[in-house]
Amino acid sequence: MQETILEIKNLTKYYGKVKGVEDLSLSLYKGEIFGFIGPNGAGKSTTIRSVMNLINKNSGSVLFHGKELLRDDVEAKSKIGYLPSEVFLYDDLTVKGIFDHHESFYKKYGKIEAIRERRKELVARLKLDETRKIEDLSLGNLKKVGIILALMHGPELIIMDEPTSGLDPIMQSVFYDLLKEEREKGTTVFYSSHILSEVSKICDRVGIIRSGRLIKAGSVDEVRDKQLTFVTVTTDDPDALVNALGVKLLSKEGTTVRFANDMSDDDLIKKLAAFRIRKILIEEATLEEMFMHYYTEDQEDAKT
Amino acid sequence: MQKRELRVNLKGFLIWTGIMLVLLLLIYLVYPSIVGDDNGSKIDEMVKAFPPEILKAFNMDIAGLDTAFGWLKSEGFVFLYLIIGIYSCLLGSTILLKEESEKTIEYMASLPITRRKAAIDKIIVSLFYILAMIVALGVFNVIALNITEDPDTMQLVLLSITPVYPAVVLFALGLFLSTFTHKTKKMLGISIGLVFAAYILSVISEMGASVEGFKYLSVFTLADSRWVITNSELRPVYPLISLALFAILIILSLVRYQKKELV
Repeated sequence: MQETILEIKNLTKYYGKVKGVEDLSLSLYKGEIFGFIGPNGAGKSTTIRSVMNLINKNSGSVLFHGKELLRDDVEAKSKIGYLPSEVFLYDDLTVKGIFDHHESFYKKYGKIEAIRERRKELVARLKLDETRKIEDLSLGNLKKVGIILALMHGPELIIMDEPTSGLDPIMQSVFYDLLKEEREKGTTVFYSSHILSEVSKICDRVGIIRSGRLIKAGSVDEVRDKQLTFVTVTTDDPDALVNALGVKLLSKEGTTVRFANDMSDDDLIKKLAAFRIRKILIEEATLEEMFMHYYTEDQEDAKT
Repeated sequence: MQKRELRVNLKGFLIWTGIMLVLLLLIYLVYPSIVGDDNGSKIDEMVKAFPPEILKAFNMDIAGLDTAFGWLKSEGFVFLYLIIGIYSCLLGSTILLKEESEKTIEYMASLPITRRKAAIDKIIVSLFYILAMIVALGVFNVIALNITEDPDTMQLVLLSITPVYPAVVLFALGLFLSTFTHKTKKMLGISIGLVFAAYILSVISEMGASVEGFKYLSVFTLADSRWVITNSELRPVYPLISLALFAILIILSLVRYQKKELV
């Protein structure tokens, strides 16, 4: 049985009358990278800030290793690494200064040598100059410092909000490698992003958040497996075909139409058999297309 | 945490204290020439022209302006109370808020440290700098006045202690008010306004029996330099009131900060 590291139970957070998240529940297991995806304003950062106890929950709880993660649970905090979406650090310090400052908080947990070793390794792999001042760093370099701060103390749980923004493709690749290595070591990663391609590339499971509610959670394949396909058909009477199938038309060019289909392949073929089909292409939806599908559905529901 | 706070706040402390010391030095250097010759009698005439309430408000009825120590007992300490008060209130209102305003709070909150410990470390460092400023100015006044004239050193030392009381209360008040907002910019005006309002209330309270009650609304009443000048001792009740107000405001600030949404 999988060991649950982080459990969010019925989390609700309202900013006055504005909903942040509502009744959100999810579990993260040991040694997995959990992708938390949703558009801007869906409630990703609210969820993360509630987990980090930066904001007050209206209701619900967050359990870390089965125990409620309280604001002042220093022992639990020492086992968590956090990378906020925007990295703001003390401008007066150098990169070395902020790492030294960070290190000083973990001395009492008795793994200072391991932290120093890890810090050295991360600095080398992310190609950071420790002598530079924080205020002089570019967005990308600041992000690298944030990544090192989140990883260097060997946390059991790493929470990351939009971690690759500002990183160049080479550093993104190094970063993905680091995350995969963390997973191999048994570290759990809570990875919030709206970049679906990277989530589908590195995450074991994903959760889709929409308007403050978790609408789907499961493995990348499970989420993708909503029988959503995109069908491109060339036929003599495309309008009749679209009407008969009752599908949502995405594009039409001459006698070729493209539509989203959530029927099974068997049902689709049976219905298409009534028409003369000159050409057909059935494509499996990517995670990105699935996400857009869920999101568009939500917007249409809101309109009605 | 404390080491970093000491380093971060050192520059501000040195600037504020440095400017005060330079101003005091300039005054002590030029004061003998101002009151020398027949200027002294002109100042006396001018002082006599003031209404008794004003003389009382600035201690000019019990301290002559013919010496630098006399000036310090009247206008000098007004200046010291105001500047130390503004420094303390600004420090109180920004020491916690700065992390939110500069958005470093998310990093700080992720560290294995309780909010209370982080806040207490900042409070301790602030108090250290407030006391260091008062000690630095006090020591400078004692040395400078003993070189230039022959003041009542005991009275001067006691007077030099009096800014502590309004300063710690103003610091705690600034700290408490800062827990209601997220931006330091808002607090800067409030802090300076608060100090001046308190000072004006303390001056008004000296204007007559009908407005005497205003003194209970002003933290500068706690300094009570008048009592020290006339009795050469500190009024024991004011340190106790200061300590009580300070403790209440600090506890309220910690309680509010513990529950505050930090982003």
